[in-house]
Amino acid sequence: MEANIEIKKETTINITRRSGSGGGVLKILLFIFIAAIVILPILITVFASFKSLPQIGSESALKPPTSLNFENYKEVLKSTNVFVAFKNSTILVVASVVINSLLSTMVAYCLTRFDFKLKKAYFAIFLVGLIIPGIVTEISRFGLMTNIGVYDTLLAPILIYAGADLMQIYIYNQFLQQIPVSVDESAMMDGASYFTIYWRIIFPMVIPATATLGILKAVDVLNDMYIPFLYMPGEEHRTLSTLLFNCITDPRTSSIPKLSAAAVIVMIPTLVIYFIFQKYIFSGIAAGAVKE
Amino acid sequence: MFKNNVKMQKNLVLVTFLFIPTILISLFMIYPLIRLVALSFTSWDGLSLTKTFVGLTNFKKILFDSPEVWLSLKNNGIYFVGHLLFIPIELFLAYLLDNRVRYSKMFKTITFLPYMINTVAVACMFIFLYSSQDGVLNSMLQFFHMDKIGWLSDPNIVNYSLTGVSLWKFSGIHIILFLAAFQSLPTDMIEASIIDGASTFKQFYHIVLPNIKPVVEIVLFLNVRGALQIFDIPYVMTSGGPNHASETFTVQTINTAFQYQNFGLACAMAIVLMIIIIIISIIQKKLFNLKG
Repeated sequence: MEANIEIKKETTINITRRSGSGGGVLKILLFIFIAAIVILPILITVFASFKSLPQIGSESALKPPTSLNFENYKEVLKSTNVFVAFKNSTILVVASVVINSLLSTMVAYCLTRFDFKLKKAYFAIFLVGLIIPGIVTEISRFGLMTNIGVYDTLLAPILIYAGADLMQIYIYNQFLQQIPVSVDESAMMDGASYFTIYWRIIFPMVIPATATLGILKAVDVLNDMYIPFLYMPGEEHRTLSTLLFNCITDPRTSSIPKLSAAAVIVMIPTLVIYFIFQKYIFSGIAAGAVKE
Repeated sequence: MFKNNVKMQKNLVLVTFLFIPTILISLFMIYPLIRLVALSFTSWDGLSLTKTFVGLTNFKKILFDSPEVWLSLKNNGIYFVGHLLFIPIELFLAYLLDNRVRYSKMFKTITFLPYMINTVAVACMFIFLYSSQDGVLNSMLQFFHMDKIGWLSDPNIVNYSLTGVSLWKFSGIHIILFLAAFQSLPTDMIEASIIDGASTFKQFYHIVLPNIKPVVEIVLFLNVRGALQIFDIPYVMTSGGPNHASETFTVQTINTAFQYQNFGLACAMAIVLMIIIIIISIIQKKLFNLKG
């Protein structure tokens, strides 16, 4: 018995030693290499956004700009409606995230707390939603959007983004199963209705999951080009993604320095969200992936 | 009396909570799917009121009379194989990250960064990198006295260039998913194998890999879906050019529907895509389980 403990101790020491020694340096070099591959394109774009067109042609892309020349940014702000796009994207994100988290918690609450006849079929429908590639149904969804009169309004993407999906319901289910049913029951004894239980107990308790899923949804909505591109062609309905897409073809903004400035402007919101909330993003991905 | 009341309340909650999500999923997922199937048997142009039933004509046309469709599927194949070849590398990197190298948290943040960036912005960044005149890659080649490469203009190269962009953007999410799986493994399991004298490779192959199998399966499934649905990278960067050389299946489907106004054919293409995704997923799952 004692010998066993002895061995265990030694191996733990070995494990810690292994990661700290020689191999460690190689590993760090490898990671620096990968970090460079990730960061260089971003860095080059940021550099380019501060350079003039002749500078782009004459000097190395890796050379930092000599001064913070905001001409390209000014030009982009002048010739495109960045603020309108920013407003549209914000509306889409807020509306989608709020409606989406309410709906998915409601579905998850029903599926974990109640038994009903069509429960299995209900799950199956969401499973179909996961298997069917979204891009595939877009062609037939298009006519529907025109028919219900939401084509070229902000409502069209919101209706599509707001629906709950299987991954969200799955993660909420995991969380809800950890809350003992006895909590619900004692609230019921005190005279709370199911609505009160959902709103006062369940919803507040799944806020950590909501943070994760909400952030991922927000980033998804903010970065999606396809749906706004298809359903909101009007110039006043451009989002950050479709605005940038338009910059590529617009001669006023298609030069590399200006395009880089536009790309940086569009990147900023998601990057801010990412660096502030990355803890939630990773914990959510871990919860979703590992338990499946 | 009391019991009845609770039951009524339960039904009321079920109906009110599930009403909107059900409407959304049936309206925007199930109905378009049914309509997609129905439209694939017609020659509808997307505008006229009459939808002529043409039987299997559209499917026959795709199968026997559309070399461009098969060419585009071949392009999708490049994305698929590219990402597939990267999966072992991603596994390896995730495994290294898990061994708690110093700064591994920072590397995790960097690795996942590209996934968070707006796809259109990513496209803009790489348009500059790949540009034939002032492009970063070509000036690097010139520095080493090598010939310029038409990254986006050479039909034989363009798909590999675009796959590179896709790898840059999506490898991070795979690494993070694998990492989440590794970190969920109980440490004593690995310690026990070290006591038994297993080499690192053996330890990885016999103990770690079987235990993260579900996550590998998810990544394989995501890869099929992603590679066959890839749309925004080629659409934004080359719009399918030069001369249709980088058209992917979805780019072609969307063009068939909205540019050439052949909704019936596009719907049939969408169904073909869906069937291919399902078949490859099943084959992959079978092969994977055979090996494991």
